[in-house]
Amino acid sequence: MTKKSDGSVTSAFPMPAIHRRDMLALGAGGLLAASGFSNARAQTKAVPPPPAKPTGQVVVGLSQEPTAFNPLMPGIEVDETIWMQIFNTMWVADPKGNLIPDLAVEIPSEANGGISEGGLAWKVKLRPGVTWHDGTPFTAEDVKYTLELINAPGFKARTRIGHAFVRDIKVTGPLEISWRMEKAYAPYLALLSNTFIVPKHILEKAADPNTAPFNQTPVGTGPFKWGTRTPGDNIQLVANDKFHGKGPYLERAVLKYVPEQTSLYAQFRTGQVDLIIGTGIPANFYAEAVKLPGRKVVKIPSASLEMLMPNLEHPVLKDKAVRKALYASLNKQAIIDIIYYGLHIPTESFSPQDSWAYNPNLPKHVYDIALANKILDDAGWKRSGSGTRMKDGVPLTFAVSTTTGAALREQAQQLMMQDWAQIGAKMTINNMPAAVIWGEFYTRSKFESLIVGTAFRTVIDPDPAARFASDAIPAKSGAGANQMQWANAEVDQLLKDGQTTFDQEKRKAIYWKLQEIAREELPILPIFQYAPVEGYKEGLIGYEPNVNARQNTWNMGSWYWAR
Amino acid sequence: MSLDPTLDALPARAEGFWNGRGMRRFRRHKLAVFGAVTIILMTLACVIGPWLLPYSDTFIDIRQRFAPPFAGPHILGTDPLGRDILARLLMAGRISLAVGFCAMVLSMGIGIAVGVAAGFYEGVIGAALMRFVDAMLCFPTIFLLLAISALIQPSVPSIVVLIAMTSWMEVARVVEAQIRSLRTREFAQAAVAMGSSNMRIMVRELLPNAIAPIVVAATLNVAHAILAESYISFLGYGIQPPTPSWGNMLENAQSYLTSAPWLAIIPGAAITLAVTSFNFVGDGLRDALDPRMDLP
Amino acid sequence: MSGFLLQRLLQAILLLLIVSMIGFAILHLAPGGPLSQFAAGGEMNQEDLDRIIEQLGLNRPLPVQYAEWLWRMLSGDWGLSYRDQQPVLHIIAGHLGPTLELMVSSTLLAMLIGAWIGIIGAVKRYSLFDSIATIGTMIALSIPTFWFGLVVIYVFSVGLGWLPSGNRFTIGDGSFLNRLHHLVGPCVVLALVSTAVWSRYMRSSMLDVINQDFVRTARAKGVPERQILMKHVLRNALLPMITITGLHVPSLLSGALVTETVFTWPGMGRLFLDSISYRDYPVVMGILMFTAVMVLLGSLLADLLYGVADPRIARSGR
Repeated sequence: MTKKSDGSVTSAFPMPAIHRRDMLALGAGGLLAASGFSNARAQTKAVPPPPAKPTGQVVVGLSQEPTAFNPLMPGIEVDETIWMQIFNTMWVADPKGNLIPDLAVEIPSEANGGISEGGLAWKVKLRPGVTWHDGTPFTAEDVKYTLELINAPGFKARTRIGHAFVRDIKVTGPLEISWRMEKAYAPYLALLSNTFIVPKHILEKAADPNTAPFNQTPVGTGPFKWGTRTPGDNIQLVANDKFHGKGPYLERAVLKYVPEQTSLYAQFRTGQVDLIIGTGIPANFYAEAVKLPGRKVVKIPSASLEMLMPNLEHPVLKDKAVRKALYASLNKQAIIDIIYYGLHIPTESFSPQDSWAYNPNLPKHVYDIALANKILDDAGWKRSGSGTRMKDGVPLTFAVSTTTGAALREQAQQLMMQDWAQIGAKMTINNMPAAVIWGEFYTRSKFESLIVGTAFRTVIDPDPAARFASDAIPAKSGAGANQMQWANAEVDQLLKDGQTTFDQEKRKAIYWKLQEIAREELPILPIFQYAPVEGYKEGLIGYEPNVNARQNTWNMGSWYWAR
Repeated sequence: MSLDPTLDALPARAEGFWNGRGMRRFRRHKLAVFGAVTIILMTLACVIGPWLLPYSDTFIDIRQRFAPPFAGPHILGTDPLGRDILARLLMAGRISLAVGFCAMVLSMGIGIAVGVAAGFYEGVIGAALMRFVDAMLCFPTIFLLLAISALIQPSVPSIVVLIAMTSWMEVARVVEAQIRSLRTREFAQAAVAMGSSNMRIMVRELLPNAIAPIVVAATLNVAHAILAESYISFLGYGIQPPTPSWGNMLENAQSYLTSAPWLAIIPGAAITLAVTSFNFVGDGLRDALDPRMDLP
Repeated sequence: MSGFLLQRLLQAILLLLIVSMIGFAILHLAPGGPLSQFAAGGEMNQEDLDRIIEQLGLNRPLPVQYAEWLWRMLSGDWGLSYRDQQPVLHIIAGHLGPTLELMVSSTLLAMLIGAWIGIIGAVKRYSLFDSIATIGTMIALSIPTFWFGLVVIYVFSVGLGWLPSGNRFTIGDGSFLNRLHHLVGPCVVLALVSTAVWSRYMRSSMLDVINQDFVRTARAKGVPERQILMKHVLRNALLPMITITGLHVPSLLSGALVTETVFTWPGMGRLFLDSISYRDYPVVMGILMFTAVMVLLGSLLADLLYGVADPRIARSGR
């Protein structure tokens, strides 16, 4: 495990305890952060040209196994590492959030006439000369088929958000398609950047698209073609030499499943995998990983947010004063600096800081036990004999749940417990296995509070209506994903305005206001925005973290090795 | 057929338990004595120890995290939150030993009840009960533990129930065999002739005569339960923090194997020591109670 | 003999039926479900989750679901995995190889070393070797397998750098030597418990045979001790050991699951853990049924051989 490239063996890692103490002495959580990002930039100097034809292979290490290969069916983030290689969408989002045409020739907008009638009529021109991996030309019929399949009654579509509004799909030319929307829905543009187009000529022959052989051996238009799969171990993809875009420059891509993050990191050190993406390098190895010879280790931006999600119908947590007091006595900096090794970025908003809709002017969180105590005193929560506060006979106690076996979260929980005991709030831990906690316990709001890492947007669109609107509380309406059960009339109106406005500046104002309200009402207690650590072997060119892609294999077609 | 294969080798028949010869043999068995002494010392340390230590098992001192053992005020070092490992080890010992003991009592209860009933009522009831036992034994223990533990909300009582539910079958088998052979003996027949109730015959006449293998099985069952707790915890479904157990102290140790190996080594050694001790005692008891058995 | 087999077969079918009911009930009655993994991601709304539950038929009464599963099972269709839409048998077959590789190699290793320790222990009873072996086997039975695995990784991978810390082979290599190199760690770890079991039974089996009449007769006839050992004792003592192998299948499977986890070995244990945490009901049921069949086969094999062997010899082996 500690074998160096020269064959010698070192005893072990440097003691992390010493590092951390030094860091604390310097008061420098941001020190590492800075060095991490500079690594990412260093790559851009003097880039050698790509090879003339696809050469070499890359081994991508994943700590979860991709198992779902039909990009329209249920899957988790890791499955998208495969979808992105095999398939294309009409447009993709670049790291800055701009949409770049892929299977389309331009992004429909009100300016170019692609979107008209206030968002009710859509028209898209598609790229000529694209072929499926089997040589069949790609046409507008494929797009029509894809959108119809998503809404087909028996089809196990992953999600119909947005797609359900689509009506009257018309193929107006071999490479032209138009449809109408039942209602104006601005986030649909973003949703389509994550809607992979599937081949009509293959899937329509299947008796049941849910069980078609296609789902095991997918055929797309992407830079890589399906190769082989060894279940529980790896998937191999091969270069598509007829790809319509840049690349591919690699002859083969191997996606290797190593079920445990620590083992995965060990294999990255020894060079068995060329890069680690997705769940990435565990935080406790970051300091050591940046020093690995021949490896580039980068902190990548992520739209995921770590938060405490209270159940707003809970007798204690529904009190805004309690939430404010808990937030004020939440030692964010200690959690980030010590438990997460200073990796992640403290945040006040539900919106990722990289988004155009992010409001940077929200009040900053201050860790202040005295303030928290004062808030509770003022709100009538009186200390009782046991030290736990009471109000109207209700003790200030609540449980915090998260997934069992999530080591760092468990540590954070125990730190919170100790801090909150100081303000007379008794927190208990009630962790559960993933399959239990994210079942009805979560979806039907049976929890008291959760520590959860999730994103509050619609693909890359800032619209959080499904998470915040009062008609999106699954426990009440059976729809949406507002599990904390937030109901606020002003918020509902803002959300509606945001969905029906297509002008970015106007939408920005709406979402800024929304963030101000959320910061004041605290329907969620934001802790930090994730900055996971990914790493790759020196000499790999083209890897580029993208906060707007769900996986950083988004541009694998243009990766290559420096010769 | 369990995590602990020594259970398979239970004697089919045994002499009386508390007769002098058995105890003499037991005392002569040095390993058994060693095991018994170790268990007593460990129990005492876990019960009394935490009072004597200057550190609490739950006090978080983040500046002291990852202190290595034997190199400062924390004798066995500290964990990722700066808590004293010795204090945690002793508190965890309380939990783990209690879990082992409670799970044993519960599993013996179930096993004896099923075994006695199956052995006494031969016919359909007995056959049905034993087929159920056979079916439960078709699941490899870990599979059963995992299948159930992934589905329950982990807490100390639920882990106890979980372990008991997956470890009573061997006991039931042993007891069933005993009771079946005992019930044909004269004393049992006599009780039937005197018109004693079934319950009375089972509890007052048959069970006391089957006590020897039950005691052996009980000892080995504690060892099994302590091991089982650690397996469940290692796989992430065990007792939840902040309550320490030997098993959950090991849970995340793998991530720190290179940087803080003591996190893995210390609780693992405690588990091994406790389980070995119980196994030694169980083995010694078996030797003492059944002179014919010549297992090591 | 055929009557015995028929009876065993009927019994096995009954057992499998009960096993399937217990398994099905445990899985489906528990909270949570296969959709949890998607709910956590936040990309799917409640409408989507509910629709897929309905499409999977998971909102129907449990007996109906069980009946349907059983009916399909009987017609040879083990169902499709929720996770990767492949036939369950196909998935199990794909993971069986690595697990068998591990189980067979560790059983062979355990047999060799265990038998050796047991034989020496029996021949030199109460010697220093015997005492150490006795203590050693007892400790081996008491060590948590996963912890032993961690220690092996710490010492031989982290510390000495002799062994890889996991995986079945290096990608792009996969030569026999490379596979062997990767097999050493998990094989030794899994073999530990079996070795202890083997040596204990081997010792008692040997002692049983040594004390029997035909051995004493041979000795009285002046047959050299070595020849007695090899020709008479060993042959008779080894026979009941085969039954141990059959009865040892369940604990070997348990051990394999844990070992595979520690060494990231892509076998059935890994598959079972993943499937449990994804609540992939068809695969979990498939593995449970598959292992139950293996366990029953193992005990049938043991019983058959037990019948063949001299019952007096076999008694202590049970």
